[in-house]
Amino acid sequence: MGVATYTSGLSAFIIVLIALYLLFSGSAESFNVGRFLEESSPYMWAMVGVGLCIGLSVLGAGWGIFVTGSSILGGGVRTPRIRTKNLISIIFCEVVAIYGVIMAIIFSSKFAFVPETELYTPSNYYTGFAIFWGGLTVGFCNLLCGISVGVTGSTAALADAADPTLFVKILIIEVFGSIMGLFGLIVGLLMSGKAEPFSALQSAAVRI
Amino acid sequence: MSGAGAREAVFPTRMNLNIMQGRLKGAQTGHSLLSRKRDALTTRFRGILRKVDEAKRKMGRVMQLASFSLAEVTYAAGGDIAYLVQEQAKTATFKVKAKQENVSGVMLPAFDAVREGSTDFNLTGLGRGGQQIQKAREVYAKALETLVELASLQARMHSPTAFTILDEVIRTTNRRVNAIEHVIIPKLENTIKYVVSELDEMDREEFFRLKKVQGKKKRDAEAAELVKQQLAAEGINVDNEEDAETEEEHALDLLAEKDADVMF
Amino acid sequence: MEALFFNVDSGFLEGIVRGYRAGLLTTSQYHNLTQCDTLEDFRMQLSQTDYGNFLANEPSPISTSTIHAKATQLLVDQFNYLRSNAVEPLSTFLEYMTYAYMIDNVILLITGTLHERDTHELLERCHPLGVFDTMPALCVATNVEELYHSVLVETPLAPYFRDALSASDLDDLNIELIRNTLYKAYLEDFHKFCSTLPYPTGEVMHQILAFEADRRTLNITINSFHSSLSKDQRARLFPSIGRLFPEGNNALARSDDLEGVKNACEYIAQYRAFFDTAAGQTNGSGPGLDDTDAALTRLENAFFAHEVHLNKLSFLQQFQYGVFYSFVKLKEQEIRSLTWIAECIAQEAKDRVGDFVPIW
Repeated sequence: MGVATYTSGLSAFIIVLIALYLLFSGSAESFNVGRFLEESSPYMWAMVGVGLCIGLSVLGAGWGIFVTGSSILGGGVRTPRIRTKNLISIIFCEVVAIYGVIMAIIFSSKFAFVPETELYTPSNYYTGFAIFWGGLTVGFCNLLCGISVGVTGSTAALADAADPTLFVKILIIEVFGSIMGLFGLIVGLLMSGKAEPFSALQSAAVRI
Repeated sequence: MSGAGAREAVFPTRMNLNIMQGRLKGAQTGHSLLSRKRDALTTRFRGILRKVDEAKRKMGRVMQLASFSLAEVTYAAGGDIAYLVQEQAKTATFKVKAKQENVSGVMLPAFDAVREGSTDFNLTGLGRGGQQIQKAREVYAKALETLVELASLQARMHSPTAFTILDEVIRTTNRRVNAIEHVIIPKLENTIKYVVSELDEMDREEFFRLKKVQGKKKRDAEAAELVKQQLAAEGINVDNEEDAETEEEHALDLLAEKDADVMF
Repeated sequence: MEALFFNVDSGFLEGIVRGYRAGLLTTSQYHNLTQCDTLEDFRMQLSQTDYGNFLANEPSPISTSTIHAKATQLLVDQFNYLRSNAVEPLSTFLEYMTYAYMIDNVILLITGTLHERDTHELLERCHPLGVFDTMPALCVATNVEELYHSVLVETPLAPYFRDALSASDLDDLNIELIRNTLYKAYLEDFHKFCSTLPYPTGEVMHQILAFEADRRTLNITINSFHSSLSKDQRARLFPSIGRLFPEGNNALARSDDLEGVKNACEYIAQYRAFFDTAAGQTNGSGPGLDDTDAALTRLENAFFAHEVHLNKLSFLQQFQYGVFYSFVKLKEQEIRSLTWIAECIAQEAKDRVGDFVPIW
């Protein structure tokens, strides 16, 4: 917990420092969100989106597997019978990573090389932003889904070790947690569904 | 008559009869006195035995209770308190005093338990289990009292000096009673019977002898009468001479007769 | 939040300790044990439980103390396994748990030194959970002054000694007062330490420690009624935590009899219930005990039952350290129950065999 507080405090401090520097050095106009969005490359948005998508998903899945795994490990010492059954919890966490991979593949199917002069079209902007925010949605959904499944899975393992009849009941809760990742997946699909792959079709398009 | 039982070697005289009867009386009085003593001692003995038995049973119960209360302490205080209790006990609160008791002239040892209130370790188990410890202590003190009581009784039972004395006394008395009852009294009775029968015999002999003498005398008298009559027919002068002669003859005859009789 | 990072350090151990917990005897197993006629049967029944063959190598007439010692050894082994796998802050937490036993051990050694016994043989009598590396060093001390200093230097209990006692106190005070003074300091310190731990641990532990403190307070009060302990001294032994603190503690410090204790607990519903059950069941109890005695026995049992209840509750919460504490306490209770049953079987006191606190 201390690390999190420290990091967030430090970053807030740096942001304030930069903002104050810009303000007092008379260059506050350079802090221009619109220009930043316009000037940054749609490729960057799309790539970061895909990266976040797979990265956060894997983070969530890994976190979940780790939380569940350590509990299964501990519980399995005294009650070895839980080890096979509770692989389901691990698989549920793994599925979250697979969602991320699927989305990353779908997103990456939009990629195509376009020369820089023909890159800055509304369509490409749309594709870039859609992939970025879609990726972010899927990533966060999967991160939280992975954690929730992991924590529930850990509880399921310990509950199963204590009383085998509880396993199915907690598994249902785990399934509900796991479905949340699916929500992210669906929404991510919808968000990127309308986006065309990067293209230079309207080569005469206006350069903004 | 002489083969019917042991008897004193006495002459069957009337004096001896009297002496024997006196001794029989004495023996009977002694017998009743001794048997009363024996009964008293045996009652005492039995009483102690019963007490020992009771005390043993009671000890069984009390010891069981006591060790159970120790189990309760272990449960409540959770662990080994023995050492702490040992170290905190400074003075003995339970003392045993020895004394002597007189039973029918026999000195028996006895023990008395004396308890003194003490607060040596009443803080033990202050945090937990204190009540149980105090309770166990009470129960054990009671068990000790029972033990002392039992020891006191057992000392009478088994110690070489004490109860054996009582036992010995009982046994001696018993032996005496039995001896009087089965040896001395029958012997005396036999003797008396013997003396009486001998005396009777003598009486009968005497009687027979008297009869015999009487018969002889009568015969002599008749003979004398006859002679007298003959003489009277002849003359009366020789009477006195004759009388003296017959008297003398009679005495001689008596001796002869007796001899013959004895021979017979 | 605790769920996110707890398992990083302690997930494995929590699984282990919950596995250990599942090894605690169940009601039906207790039932089987109470049906035994001899200690041989008892051993047979135990071998079918989590205890396994722990008595297998004992020669045949087993005594209850052997059972107690072996079962404690089992607990110590489990605890040591946990301890050797633990990392901060769990290791400190486990360390704190051993302090309670350490106090007992150090008190034992102090008693030995005061009476000039050979303290080396006392080491074997010490509770194995309270053994620390430098304990043999305490045996070197020959007088109280030296002992006091070596306790300060060598033991983790130094702060408690330093704050509560001086060297001359060791000589003057009754050993039980020293023990309870230390325990009070320990409970308060443990309480404070638990507050520094992440969220659910403190909450769970505070409940248990509060009850522990209250129980000590009540016990000290009741036990000191007919003893040489003055009220002033008594008040100084009360831990300053717990639900009775501070008002109930003040009332208890002034009370003279059981009635006063009862009144002091009046405004805490749970504690009032103890006295109610204690009083209510007396009427039906056997004639052998007088009323106060029986009531106190019931009270003691009610305390045990409530302690078990609280410790059971801590298993309902995952991702906190309370389970480690609770497990050790429950296991201790179980060992006590086992010894009790064995004792009842050995002494053929079948009517009392049910007077233990079953856990599950």
